Amino acid sequence: MYGGGSIFETPKTDTLKNEDPVKIAAFEARIARGEKIEPNDWMPELYRKQLIRMIEQHAHSEIIGALPEGTWITRAPGFKRKLALMAKVQDEVGHAQLLYSAAETLGKPREAMIEDLINGKSKYSNVFNYPAFTWADSCFISWLVDAGAIVNQLANAKGSYGPYCRALDRICAEESFHLKYGHHCVIHMATGTPIQRKMMQEAINRWWEPMMHFFGPPDKISVHTEILMNWKVKMASNDECRNQFLDMYVPKILELGLTIPDPELRKDPDTGQWVYTEPDWEVFKKVINGDGPCNAERLAVRRTAEERGRWVRQALTRPDSIYVMPLA
Amino acid sequence: MESLDPRVQRLNIKQDGKDFPEKPELDQWITYEVFVQLVEDKPFRHEGIVHACDLDMAFILAKEQFTRRYTCSGIAVVATHEIWVSPLTEDQESVLDMDPSDWPDAGKEGNYEVCLLYRRGKQHEHAGQIQANSSKDAFRMTAEAYPGDAKPIYNVWVIPTDKFRFSTPEEKEIWDTLPEKRFREAADYKAGDKLTNFKNAIK
Repeated sequence: MYGGGSIFETPKTDTLKNEDPVKIAAFEARIARGEKIEPNDWMPELYRKQLIRMIEQHAHSEIIGALPEGTWITRAPGFKRKLALMAKVQDEVGHAQLLYSAAETLGKPREAMIEDLINGKSKYSNVFNYPAFTWADSCFISWLVDAGAIVNQLANAKGSYGPYCRALDRICAEESFHLKYGHHCVIHMATGTPIQRKMMQEAINRWWEPMMHFFGPPDKISVHTEILMNWKVKMASNDECRNQFLDMYVPKILELGLTIPDPELRKDPDTGQWVYTEPDWEVFKKVINGDGPCNAERLAVRRTAEERGRWVRQALTRPDSIYVMPLA
Repeated sequence: MESLDPRVQRLNIKQDGKDFPEKPELDQWITYEVFVQLVEDKPFRHEGIVHACDLDMAFILAKEQFTRRYTCSGIAVVATHEIWVSPLTEDQESVLDMDPSDWPDAGKEGNYEVCLLYRRGKQHEHAGQIQANSSKDAFRMTAEAYPGDAKPIYNVWVIPTDKFRFSTPEEKEIWDTLPEKRFREAADYKAGDKLTNFKNAIK
């Protein structure tokens, strides 16, 4: 799962003027032909930096995203749900490994990525800085947060960087299980007892604003990303992804007799676009900058896992090992 | 807000935001390339990497990371630094037509596994084993043996056979239970009837 609609910092294009225009032209022609860029191909520094940043943020989002759901494994209602949730959380951590590997092919070691996550230098999706109060929150995440992630990931899987696309193909294949499992959970809650139904509705009310934040700021105020679109680093705008999500999932929520906490929400028949109340973007910025309900806790849990595992990693390290960048 | 994560209470995890020290070199060990054979008689295909402290751990982690679903007949792992890599070509240019004289060489007389890239953007496939004097020699022999009118090859990996860890025939039973693990598959979560009954009831 991932809220990759937004790249959180403005790309600095000043390194572009130092690049060889002939090489840039060949690089852009290859992308225009629909070929993938591979780790040993020449690429502009800006392309490399943006991809590292984006893939790394994606990887962090997977590993941090496993935490709110992971806390529900011990309390999942029944053996079947527990088994499924464990499999899902294992998938999420596996996705992080695939993505860290893809970023590593661009030259950033995994050690540095983990350091930057825990020291707060790298971002991850805002949505995972919110608490999962009840089992219904876990159901919401499994279905709708993953649904939002699939919208982003299917778009990015058509991008230009080979290792990232291959990782996303594998991830999307596994996400289909997450989506069906999540929908299954929500259907059971929404069609269950009045208390279960109430729990599900309350979860939707709590998560709707973070879900709208998930795709990033509206296109009219987000950073200019034309060059990243041309280079197929970013494949769809934040608003396009949000609109696609609303198109696909609002009807599915409503058919369960659940409501969405936005009186303005409707599809404009003339434009085909969804109209909605803008979520509070100041809250979004505040959470991105570390001041959400769970930011400190999420990073503390990761830091503790790293610290407690250190002696094991050190005991097993062979000092004569030869590290080279992964190949593809 | 009091944490909802049981670990935070149990381990008394402090949320003090203290700086995390720089990780030492090799903290995440080295990388191993992973190849998977989905069904018997099909070639092993490169799937990705794992970080591991040695070949045996790489084998176990590769099994966990890349063979949780569907079918699997075998896996193979090798440390990334053991792989001799040719240049990558494009368009209709086959790397097998290139003269390797000036390229670096590695290895000694013995058996080598050869993996070929048939299409840019896709993954390498294991093509076979060859006895050669070095990695570059194995590349030359591959180029000679490859039919001249076949599709271009874009990249070649040559790997000393004794550095590769292939799953053994006895280990194949690791994957015998994969088809039973339906809980990992989307098809196991059907709720259409429940939804239809609900919609009919509220009409």
